[in-house]
Amino acid sequence: MDVTLLLWAVANGVMVGSIYGLIALGWVLIYKCSGVLNLAMGELTLIGAYLCLTIYTFLIKIGHPLPFVSALFLTLLACIVMGYLTERIFLDRLIGEPVLTVIMMTVGLMFVFRGLVGLIWSTDTRIFDPPVFSYDAFFIGGIIIERVYLWSMVAALSLWIIFYLFFKYTPWGLSMQATADDEMAALSLGISVRFVYSAAWIIAFMTAAVGGAFLGAKNGLNISVGELSLLVLPAVVLGGLNSVPGAIVGGIVIGVLQELSGFLLDPYFPGGVKDTAPYVFMVLFLLFKPYGLWGWVRIERV
Amino acid sequence: MSTFLPCGTYHETYAQDHAFWQTRFIRGKMILLALVAFIAVPFFLTDYLSEFILFIYWSLGALGVQLLIGYCGQLTLGHAAFLAVGAYASFLIMAMPWPQFMLDMGVVYPLVLLISGVIAGIWCVIFGLPSARVKGFYLILTTMAAQFITVDFFIAKYISQIGGRQQDLTLSSDLVKFGPWTVDTKRDIYYFGLILTILMGFMVVNYIRSKPGRAWVAIRDNDIAAESMGINITLYKLQAFFVSGFIGGVTGAFWGASRNIISVEDFTFGKSLWLVGIILIGGVGSIHGVFFGAAFMVFMIWALQEIVGMVGGTGNIIYYKEIAFGLAICGFLLFEPNGLAYRWWQSKNYFNLWPFSY
Repeated sequence: MDVTLLLWAVANGVMVGSIYGLIALGWVLIYKCSGVLNLAMGELTLIGAYLCLTIYTFLIKIGHPLPFVSALFLTLLACIVMGYLTERIFLDRLIGEPVLTVIMMTVGLMFVFRGLVGLIWSTDTRIFDPPVFSYDAFFIGGIIIERVYLWSMVAALSLWIIFYLFFKYTPWGLSMQATADDEMAALSLGISVRFVYSAAWIIAFMTAAVGGAFLGAKNGLNISVGELSLLVLPAVVLGGLNSVPGAIVGGIVIGVLQELSGFLLDPYFPGGVKDTAPYVFMVLFLLFKPYGLWGWVRIERV
Repeated sequence: MSTFLPCGTYHETYAQDHAFWQTRFIRGKMILLALVAFIAVPFFLTDYLSEFILFIYWSLGALGVQLLIGYCGQLTLGHAAFLAVGAYASFLIMAMPWPQFMLDMGVVYPLVLLISGVIAGIWCVIFGLPSARVKGFYLILTTMAAQFITVDFFIAKYISQIGGRQQDLTLSSDLVKFGPWTVDTKRDIYYFGLILTILMGFMVVNYIRSKPGRAWVAIRDNDIAAESMGINITLYKLQAFFVSGFIGGVTGAFWGASRNIISVEDFTFGKSLWLVGIILIGGVGSIHGVFFGAAFMVFMIWALQEIVGMVGGTGNIIYYKEIAFGLAICGFLLFEPNGLAYRWWQSKNYFNLWPFSY
């Protein structure tokens, strides 16, 4: 077997995995803040990415010097508004309801958002034009590395550090963790659950937008990017649903696993191994270690 | 949710207590319903027969989901996978070289229907196995994995390639025979679905009021308490998965027979969510709810198509559908969390207890 090819597959996996890590971070954060598995995550990614793209194209047209950074910044501002509105309109009344109700609500939101994205931006693939990151890749030890991946890795790592510190040291982060652990107890201790929920949704929107923007900058955008974020679920499970470092590590591991399985198994199957291997891995992983590597094990009493 | 009986109706024996139709009024209602379903719809509402077939399909599919989510409390977001397994299994087994006399006698299709249901049930149990260890959203993840592994990998990459690439499987309608009765016209398909719905409905109702059903409800309400009361929760959970998968498989086979052609597009992840949406709108934990939810869906889509057709802009109908469906789920969760079945129950009790509803 060609060692260089294998190394290339691993490196590529790490790179793709860092984007997965970014999106996985969104899942983990909203779970960590509100105890909800947000199935609308893929659509949040789509909305963020499309918004970023639209603003980017506009800024290019008026000749702005720093189009991508400004577009991302403006998108994040819009995400604050959208996250707040979504929470206030759809999820505010569900505080105190069973978690499964809230999950189903995110399913409803998923359909609404996907329909809206389809209506506004239609289904054609759109690309960032001119490309955000130059295509002239550079080599490290004979392995090609694309700039997009490098920058998304930087973004993932910096977000990871920010949120790690946020959850560990700020009162907001602590109150969010308390709410996720036990909503009723948090309410009775005077934590504003409404505030925590809206903050959680704002954060989810923002991380999804960052992940989506990088994905879009790499491959172009169409509605199937939303489905890609479901592929991130195995990464979340691997790291544990409420572990911020776990999201990044899980993302990278799943990325490597995907590339390797594609590389090693594709000759034996008619294709599609790459997209399915993470799920097979997830089912097996759930059977043996359901709470992931760093997730909280819940002890239940009657 | 038991319904209150009208004043002056008392049960003196267990047989009365367990009877399906407890008063003469209810029996009359049911006979009327049967008349409407068996005669009025297929002969006088022929223009809307496709909508009714769709209604039957949705309610059959949602019945399995209802059993799993509403009665056993095992959330599934991948039920379309089991429908797909049933549909593809029925097509492939039907294509096997059956002896001609069996085909002539029309015993093959009923057999195939049963076998494809069992295959889907077993497939469902395989993906239900993690439910022994995990629950809640970890189980959601497993069932989602079932969807992607089954439909997007096995079926899309292997099974649908049988008989040539990019070629959908087909089933000629004169093979769908029950004894001398060939299911080929729309009206026949409607009757086939109707009888299937009645059989499956009775099966689920009887399951729920017997031992397994009580165990399922106990598991749904609190699985740890149920286990400490001596219920073998793994066994009963897997049984629920099997029954639900069986219904799913039969539904898939029915869908195949009604279309004579199947493709992967019929069983996407969106379809799975759609099935869950139906029981949310109809009411979780209620057999009535399945039918109300399915009726609501079919009516909503029909009305939407009419409106969009009048206003113009039919190119975007798929997005309008998605938005309407999402808003319906959100609206029901916010304003009517118990679904349409609860409204039905309330209004029935209002009339049963009138004028002294205390």
